[in-house]
Amino acid sequence: MQGGISVVLKAEQLGSVFGFPITNALVMTWAVMLLLIGFAFFFGRSLSLVPTKLQSAVEWAFEGALAYMTEVLESKKLARRFFPLVASIFLFIAIANELEFFPGVGSFGLVHATNFLPLLRTPTTDLNFTLALAMISFFTIEITGIATLGFFKYVGKYVNLKSPIGFVVGLIEFISNLGRLISFSFRLFGNIFAGEVMVLVADYFLPYFLPAPLMGFEMFIGFVQALVFAMLTLFFIKLAITEPHGAH
Amino acid sequence: MQQLLSAFGIDWRLLIAQAVNFGVVIGALWYFLYKPVLAMLAKRQEVIAKGVEDAAHAQAALAGADTEASARVAAADTEAERIVSAAREAGDAEKTRLLKEAEARAVAVAKDAEDRAKEVAARAKRESEKEITRLAILAAEKLLKKHYD
Repeated sequence: MQGGISVVLKAEQLGSVFGFPITNALVMTWAVMLLLIGFAFFFGRSLSLVPTKLQSAVEWAFEGALAYMTEVLESKKLARRFFPLVASIFLFIAIANELEFFPGVGSFGLVHATNFLPLLRTPTTDLNFTLALAMISFFTIEITGIATLGFFKYVGKYVNLKSPIGFVVGLIEFISNLGRLISFSFRLFGNIFAGEVMVLVADYFLPYFLPAPLMGFEMFIGFVQALVFAMLTLFFIKLAITEPHGAH
Repeated sequence: MQQLLSAFGIDWRLLIAQAVNFGVVIGALWYFLYKPVLAMLAKRQEVIAKGVEDAAHAQAALAGADTEASARVAAADTEAERIVSAAREAGDAEKTRLLKEAEARAVAVAKDAEDRAKEVAARAKRESEKEITRLAILAAEKLLKKHYD
């Protein structure tokens, strides 16, 4: 703390392999992947017809999520098709966010010259991660819309030449649609990054007392942000497959 | 724009890497988690549906078995009553036959005894007559002897 608060907006590069940059956010992403896939591997093998408490909880969550998705999409088939995407978005972001304040994350690192390089950095505080997820979500939404409604009907949602007002509304919708890429990625990035900065500031001004409750709050925010990202993807898919006004 | 991308550390290689990472996660979770759990849920739903169906079948079978058992018991009762009644009738007929036979035999025995008594009486009479005759002759002999002496 002698050097004051150091906030780095972008993920720090730890090194490179064949010219490919290895950042601390990327290393943390791999750790989260390992955790998720490891859990899935062992959990998937231990399933039984008479469930354990953990299995009951997971099944309850799955059934609840599927029922909600079926209600939103008004189709069981569509809900089952998009369940892996929506659930994976939620799990990936949630686990990454919940590990944000775990011991070692941000505190273990390398000292390069006079600079400290943390080995692990929450992936959601790297815009590359949030933008990649936003792009996946965005393209899934658009492709689903085109595949369900057909190219011309889907484009007709944004290009409306029937009236000047319709044209302007279509244009606004098109811009807001493109804006999802930014809103998706920056909402998640901003919330989690701001949380980290807030805890850092609290740690600087009132150590021992303030950071712990703030960390708890930030973990809650991390869970909410994962839910928001997944739910918005679901709602935008629903909007994309909905017939435009006056199509009936 | 370049400055903005640089400030946030946006790198197309990292973008692709993170997209690939997510692809790997979604694929692995689908294979190791979603597919088995959803299959387990479907299987359990199937087992429960089958259990409910089996219970309904068992209940119907039980009701059928009860009806059949009642019918069989009723048939057995009727049969038992018929057998008892037939046995009683046969017993009565046998009793009547035995009584008649005993009566006939008693009559025959009595007649036989009477015949024998009559024969004994006749024989006694005949022997008495013979004795009386002999005694009479003897008395006459004595009288004659006394007279002529």
